[in-house]
Amino acid sequence: MSDQYSNEPMLDMFVFETTQLIEQLEQIILTNEKGSCFTPSAINEIFRIMHTIKGSSAMMMFTDISVLSHTMEDLFYYLREEKPNYIDCSKLSDFLLEGVDYIKGEIDKIKSGDDTANNPSELIKTLKEFLVTLKTENNSIALNKVNSPVKKPQYYIRQEKSITTIYNNIYKAIIYFEEGCEMENIRAYTIIHNLKDITDDYYFLPEDIIDNDNSAEVIRQQGFQIYFKADHAYDSMHEFFMQTIFLRELDLIQLENDNEYKHLYEKKQSNIDSINILQNNPIKIPEIHNMNNAGMDKEKQASVTTQSIISVSIPKLDKLMDLVGEMVIAEAMVIQNPDLKGLEINNFQKAARQLNKITNEIQDLVMSIRMVPLSATFFKMHRILRDMCKKLGKEVELEIIGEETEVDKNIIEHISDPLMHLVRNAIDHGIETTEDRVSMDKSKTGTVTIEARNAGSDVLVIIKDDGRGLDRDKILNKARKSGLLYKREEEMSDKEIYNLILLPGFSTKEVVSEYSGRGVGMDVVSKNIETIGGSISVDSVTNKGTTITLKIPLTLAIIDGMNIKVGKSCYTIPTISIKESFSPKEKDLILDPDGNEMIMVRGKCYSILRLHKLYKVSTHITKFTDGIIIMVEQEEKTLCIFADELLGQQQVVVKALPEYIQKLKRVRGLSGCTLLGDGRISLILDVAGLINI
Amino acid sequence: MENSTEFLLEGEEDTQKGRFLTFSLDKESYGIEIKHVTEIIGIQEITEIPELPQYVKGIINLRGKIIPIMDVRIRFKKEPREYNDRTCVIVVDIKNISIGLVVDRVSEVLTIPEQDIVEPPQMNKGHGNRYVRKIGKVGSDVKLLLDCEKLLTDDELEDIRVGM
Amino acid sequence: MKKVLIIDDAAFMRLAIRTALEKSGFQVAGEAANGMEGIQKFIELKPDIVTLDITMPEMSGLEALKAIIKFDANAKVVMVSAMGQEAMVRDAIMNGAKSFIVKPFKEEQVIKALNQILEM
Repeated sequence: MSDQYSNEPMLDMFVFETTQLIEQLEQIILTNEKGSCFTPSAINEIFRIMHTIKGSSAMMMFTDISVLSHTMEDLFYYLREEKPNYIDCSKLSDFLLEGVDYIKGEIDKIKSGDDTANNPSELIKTLKEFLVTLKTENNSIALNKVNSPVKKPQYYIRQEKSITTIYNNIYKAIIYFEEGCEMENIRAYTIIHNLKDITDDYYFLPEDIIDNDNSAEVIRQQGFQIYFKADHAYDSMHEFFMQTIFLRELDLIQLENDNEYKHLYEKKQSNIDSINILQNNPIKIPEIHNMNNAGMDKEKQASVTTQSIISVSIPKLDKLMDLVGEMVIAEAMVIQNPDLKGLEINNFQKAARQLNKITNEIQDLVMSIRMVPLSATFFKMHRILRDMCKKLGKEVELEIIGEETEVDKNIIEHISDPLMHLVRNAIDHGIETTEDRVSMDKSKTGTVTIEARNAGSDVLVIIKDDGRGLDRDKILNKARKSGLLYKREEEMSDKEIYNLILLPGFSTKEVVSEYSGRGVGMDVVSKNIETIGGSISVDSVTNKGTTITLKIPLTLAIIDGMNIKVGKSCYTIPTISIKESFSPKEKDLILDPDGNEMIMVRGKCYSILRLHKLYKVSTHITKFTDGIIIMVEQEEKTLCIFADELLGQQQVVVKALPEYIQKLKRVRGLSGCTLLGDGRISLILDVAGLINI
Repeated sequence: MENSTEFLLEGEEDTQKGRFLTFSLDKESYGIEIKHVTEIIGIQEITEIPELPQYVKGIINLRGKIIPIMDVRIRFKKEPREYNDRTCVIVVDIKNISIGLVVDRVSEVLTIPEQDIVEPPQMNKGHGNRYVRKIGKVGSDVKLLLDCEKLLTDDELEDIRVGM
Repeated sequence: MKKVLIIDDAAFMRLAIRTALEKSGFQVAGEAANGMEGIQKFIELKPDIVTLDITMPEMSGLEALKAIIKFDANAKVVMVSAMGQEAMVRDAIMNGAKSFIVKPFKEEQVIKALNQILEM
């Protein structure tokens, strides 16, 4: 990487922007592949994306990326300019996606500080060959195009030669540009362009600075020579040339006579006509004034939106979230301060209410900032679907519903992998081969649907396929063999049987396929979803398909919690899972013959979990009637938790347990921790985990 | 700018080299490379976390940051001891993991020149302390220099035991 | 301090140019991510000099250049281009751009070009 640009923000920005562009590119490719082929606007867009990546990566000295994107840019330049008729779109998409993957991989390596570069030369070669093939296949058209323009003029002299005024002085200037300033021919042209204000009697060497970009090399070697006549004095001409940007050396001579000048001039005279062509056909420039108003308005809108959005780093948002959490706690400490008890403080109360209102608003706002639509995660599935269909020879459509549903940023990160796994499963194991489908009288093309929708403080993500469905008997067999049946078979509902596949160590597929690689099965998906406090359920109808529903919380960062005390320890239960809490009465308590403690509530019996026993906390409250029962519910299962006392409800900022501890052990029934108003730590209980102990 | 800070860091690294924070457990004196040490705090309220190995006492709130606490005595299979006002927590940062180490008493920061640092004697596995990487000689005293990474990662044996 | 307006659709390029300029005592008065926004900011901020990317979506750098020159014939605009865009750069020069830099550029090139143009 170049030293001058090696600073962090620049690298961050490069990674950020390139990732965005690559994702955009992938979307364009996948969308266009579905249609007939690349639309002109898509071609233009891809050209621009590759152009930008080329420039940025070259600045960052990531040569491989730069060269690859340059090759792709060239290809799309050709497509854009020549509009060839015959394009092998499927092949083109494959190459592009290969390029996308390569750049993605490189970006990942850059992010992780891995500097082992993968050489893209194979791909570059393929792309170049593809371009050559394209050109040959579209040869006739291309030839016509090449031949159409009139042979370009060889040099450049003002055409109003005939009305030339007589100038007093004759000059010769030789100009050298600084090394590495690039496009010397255009720089030379800049001088000529400015010189026009001084004189219309000039000529220059090399003559073909406009049409031949290789003239830049000649200028680099031999300098740029101008012969001209002007009324200006030497000093003023010298000053004129000295203003040249990136000027390295100027050699300006006032000539005694115009011998040298004439000699060159006459030699060129015969070509003067062709120059007129250039002059009369100024280079075409897209006219903005001709643009219709609708277009302008659209741009205006676009500019407004780009202006009003900035990107913020996630750690900053996390920090902000933390601070807001601390603020909520601090506020509670002030407003509920024991020193205030019994005081007549109306004005204080009024101010406190106002403070409370503002804090709540800030909190809502910060939460909303962190909310991201699921669309990007969902759209990633298009690519998986495409690749798998190609490899497996299946025809599958992906239907996406409710992708605008928003969830917290850190939740998105956690569901991307499980979702991918589920979609792969659906295509690999769910959807039948085309022949099978046809023979079963099903539509030839299978459908996988991903749907998201809000359900209270949760979001439901549903992955549905119209494939063969789960094999009830096979699952039962397997579960029996693996000893996973927790109930008598006859008592199990179909749904319960299907959900067996979520249990650790379950896998129906004997053959491990490349994609879903059943080695890690549904239990991993299930674990992943559980870590973010979500749940998963499976339903299936034979030959109609399988539906997998993920229930995930909107956010992880702040929850409403009920703080409870056990001995000296403090725990927090998410309020959302609490049904009720009450002091148990002796008569409702039941002890079954196995010693399981239960309680009767409104005619129903629930088992009781003693937190102090589970976590071996010493407390003097061991009699149920001395403490409190908190009834919690998750996934239609209910549990009564026994604790010493309730401390009160408050919003808590969820913090993960330290990495070291998570690595040591996943403690049953704990999902994290939080800080209480007095600085103490409370452990957040994972209700689903406790129920399933 | 960048260069100068880099230079500074390098300089700091240099001054940290060969410097150890020493602390005692029973009669033995141990040393930790100073570059790992973030701060030293007195013992404070520890929130216990269930089901963890005994040597992990729980977590503390260090100015809003939650860090785990390890009792080095128990880690070294010594008799646990009641914490008192001399008990200290050395907060260390090892490979970006912050952890507090409970020790009997913090002694001092020492510079031990390289030539005074030797390999620990080869003992039977059962006797040697596998967290001691080197031995430093300071006058007639011996400092057991700890391998901090091992302290955090070398858990396989324990895991099995906890599991049983 | 000389005020610069950076017009470029690539955030990375804007940052690269901004970084270079701010190191050398220029004041980046504003950034714009497309031609239209660039024109608005030019009018609003009255920068001493503008760096203008040649390839941008919707309204190209050339179109933006023409609009800027129309608004202020003496506007100092430096085009930011890439190799292979010679024709576009020439058109820009014809339409009043003072000079251009070529990506990938070195920081000192940007500074030099801007300084020289400002001295004109």
